[in-house]
Amino acid sequence: MKTAQEFRAGQVANINGSPWVIQKAEFNKSGRNAAVVKMKLKNLLTGAGTETVYRADDKLEPIILDRKEVTYSYFADPLYVFMDGEFNQYEIEKADLEGVMVFIEDGMTDVCEAVFYGEKVISVELPTTIVRQIAYTEPAVRGDTSGKVMKTARLNNGAELQVSAFCEIGDFIEIDTRTSEYKSRVKA
Amino acid sequence: MQASWEIFCSVIDNYGDAGVTWRLARQLAAEHGLRVRLWIDDPAALVRLCPEADASLPQQWREGVEIRRWPADWQPVEPADVVVEAFACQLPEAHVAAMAARRPRVLWLNLEYLSAEDWVGGCHGLPSLQPEGLEKFFFFPGFAEGTGGLLRERGLIERRRAFQADAAARAAFLQALGVSLRPGERLVSLFAYENAGLAGWLEALAADATPTLLLVPEGRILGDLQRWLEVPALATGAEEQRGALRIRVLPFVRQDAYDRLLWCCDFNAVRGEDSFLRAQWAGRPLLWQIYPQADGAHWDKLEAFLDRYLEGLSPSAAAALQALWQAWNAGEGMGAAWTALQDDWPELGKHAERWCARQAARPDLAAALVQFYTDWL
Repeated sequence: MKTAQEFRAGQVANINGSPWVIQKAEFNKSGRNAAVVKMKLKNLLTGAGTETVYRADDKLEPIILDRKEVTYSYFADPLYVFMDGEFNQYEIEKADLEGVMVFIEDGMTDVCEAVFYGEKVISVELPTTIVRQIAYTEPAVRGDTSGKVMKTARLNNGAELQVSAFCEIGDFIEIDTRTSEYKSRVKA
Repeated sequence: MQASWEIFCSVIDNYGDAGVTWRLARQLAAEHGLRVRLWIDDPAALVRLCPEADASLPQQWREGVEIRRWPADWQPVEPADVVVEAFACQLPEAHVAAMAARRPRVLWLNLEYLSAEDWVGGCHGLPSLQPEGLEKFFFFPGFAEGTGGLLRERGLIERRRAFQADAAARAAFLQALGVSLRPGERLVSLFAYENAGLAGWLEALAADATPTLLLVPEGRILGDLQRWLEVPALATGAEEQRGALRIRVLPFVRQDAYDRLLWCCDFNAVRGEDSFLRAQWAGRPLLWQIYPQADGAHWDKLEAFLDRYLEGLSPSAAAALQALWQAWNAGEGMGAAWTALQDDWPELGKHAERWCARQAARPDLAAALVQFYTDWL
């Protein structure tokens, strides 16, 4: 069993005998050191979707599914296409990528993991840490090198996140895909 | 027959757990005619709020509510139509199994903590898929549309305004507490956790041109107060004077008396969730000490509330109030922030009343819960 807060987008849980893929998971602190996780789920048997909330320490049974390393190849509206090392292509719908869509961009080289339910790819998981380039942000704040003062930055795919105030356009940054948060600035 | 409701309360610390659930239970019974059972694992906490209750009894009826001691060795009980777990407390496994087996079905609700953060609206009312086919719904109180609202009894604001307009009623209430206000004295109440910032605030009050009477109900802040006063002990009824500041220790009072105390005061320092909300219904400026969380998560919650509460204030008043709240919650010197606030005093008073009226215009939490049940049926 795993706690709700340990589940990530793309993973599958057995809930009342049905496999549910977590399409999106949002963690929030509620009160008195407690927390909740809001999840967008899709039933892999019926295709039905639902939104749900768990206490962060609620226990869920994970389902271990087949996985294969893939890289993003191209977008063929409305499907995203990934390719494995043997040039097999796997198509996946945007809704099934919701939890990681903000990190998908043309030319990305991250080695991802496609998750299979039977023959079908039901999700793609990104590495825990990825590197992305800042396409736009306001000019760096002089004098602040602490990294504690934050500002908004836009990535090449249009996604926005908070980064340290000293980051500049063209900088490469590390992002934690579990929390979608900026980690640090890195050298290209 | 009216629906039956049961509320489970596990007392973790302080009086918020018991305070919120007792209020809710009474309101559901009194205003909605429901059969309400309150399970509480530490009835002694409830006795502080409702002195008529007897902590030794396993079952008793008070103000239309059946109060049951929640025993560690749970004995099977037929679940109610609606089961509310307060603040994500863990229901007995056997009771959950009984809920799953019951027909007609049981509505299972988790009443969550109060927060002004935006994400609350996105989680309010969502189900949680549970074992045995049960669904539990998360019910979030809140200050904005799309949340479950705030605990507020019917007619509360009208009663409060009538009381505040009645000088004789105010004087009689204070006199019953052994308090007599001197001419020109500003009346302030203080209910707080331990706070290193207290000394700075008290020094500012003592040095102030305006005299202050600080009323302090028994509680965790007394230790800090005692240290600042440099007295060996502070019992109920104790009174001390330092400069322009007069301090009086009050007994821990029942909920309705605490409401009146808040209504009497020109400024209320409150804490946690229950007294925080009651101070807002008092329509007077307030200072909130938020429940501190291990990783500093409470700061986001404090700022989220301030974002909403400060809206409509002049920039100077908003900045002064924000600085005061931040200093208090950081346990830092309050002197400068308190002094800066004085110029904006009249504006803060009007703003507190406006905020109260705005929040009171929304459906209250008990009514929202009952509506949720009706919709679910």
